[in-house]
Amino acid sequence: MPLWENRRSVLILAGLAAFNILLISIQIPRGAEKSLFERSIFFLYSPVQRAVTGAIRGLGSLWTNYFDLRGVRGENQQLKKEIFFRNQDVRFLEDRLGLFQSEAQVRESLAAFQGTIVLARVIGADSANPYQTIVLDKGGLDGIGKDMAVCDRFGNLVGRTIAPVGLKETMVQLITDKDSSVSVVSAVDRLTGSVTGKSGAFCELRYVLASTSGGQPGEELLTTGYDKIYPAGLRVGSIRSLEKDESTPTFRRIAVEPYFRFNTIDIVAVITKAGGGK
Amino acid sequence: MKDVLRAFLATSLAFFVYSLAGSAGPMLIVVLNAFSVVVLYFSVRRGEVFGAFLGTACGLVQDSFSLGVFGVGGLTKTLLGFWAGFVSRRIDVAPFFRNGLFMLVISVLEMILWVLVTAVVRRESLNFHGGLILLQPLVTAVLGSSLFAFERRFRARGSRGA
Repeated sequence: MPLWENRRSVLILAGLAAFNILLISIQIPRGAEKSLFERSIFFLYSPVQRAVTGAIRGLGSLWTNYFDLRGVRGENQQLKKEIFFRNQDVRFLEDRLGLFQSEAQVRESLAAFQGTIVLARVIGADSANPYQTIVLDKGGLDGIGKDMAVCDRFGNLVGRTIAPVGLKETMVQLITDKDSSVSVVSAVDRLTGSVTGKSGAFCELRYVLASTSGGQPGEELLTTGYDKIYPAGLRVGSIRSLEKDESTPTFRRIAVEPYFRFNTIDIVAVITKAGGGK
Repeated sequence: MKDVLRAFLATSLAFFVYSLAGSAGPMLIVVLNAFSVVVLYFSVRRGEVFGAFLGTACGLVQDSFSLGVFGVGGLTKTLLGFWAGFVSRRIDVAPFFRNGLFMLVISVLEMILWVLVTAVVRRESLNFHGGLILLQPLVTAVLGSSLFAFERRFRARGSRGA
């Protein structure tokens, strides 16, 4: 008892530190896999995050839609002009498309995507490094599960859904995360490898043999579908640079610039396997 | 019981600010660590034991929204809360500039510890986001000391009014 009274605070600190060290040690080498306790905290707090983001968006929307209407008339005129030219473009493209495919074929190919895409808003980023994960406002109730591909509004690959998947929230591992791996092929020279993040703005293309020729800066990388997570043909990024890797002479060092940008992932599309909500 | 409720509210407040920063821009999360500000503020006010408990709570909530190893934030914030509470009980950190300097030193220590623990646990070099992350202790110190200055001014005005 006297020891407890004299050194109460130090003993509490030791207890808390031991608790945290225990938490860390039981995860190694699991690392990214979430424990039950971690999932519980995510389930408890993610609705709060959703509410905060929703409130901010609501206020922003109130301002832009009801109060800040300066310049709307001019913008309207400009948009009308743009629509006119866009309609002409669409007609031109429809004519060109008609040369290759019948209307029925076009409808059929588009129908394949209907019901397999769930649109979601990004409500949070990784608390330690924004290049690792984001949180979406859709979850299990909307048909989202683990290991589903996530694309930005332009169809560029953003990442994949990972556990924990909440009822209305989902965590997404970005392709820029260092533990992420996407099987890709280059569009021109057909270099096959795996795009891995570096928890920063750029990624790297791994496992391309040094003996392989081809590949140029700017060349587009597309998913192969071999990993059974990402459907084939999604745009991932482009080759930034190609160098010889002195540390591992077997492979080439290829830097990749992902296509997705943080300012275009406010809304993303989750490609569900069996269809989802609206 | 009151303390537990306060700790829960403080953690929720930090989480609210974190969500706010995340929706404003992902890079803000790198610069602004709301959890550290809350831990520092309450540790100075309530002492090392409270600071250590609150540090654990805030750190674990922060870890839950990160793909990193669960517990790293908990450990560093536990020590942050303890150090801040322990030192502030032994030296006077009330004056504004001394308060700011104290928080800066403690925040730098927290960051060093976080970098070391992450490097040991994950066996990798950290992404410093072009040096942006080094601003985090400074921002934490400025916000923390401003919070105290604001509170002092608010109380002084309250007592004049009464």
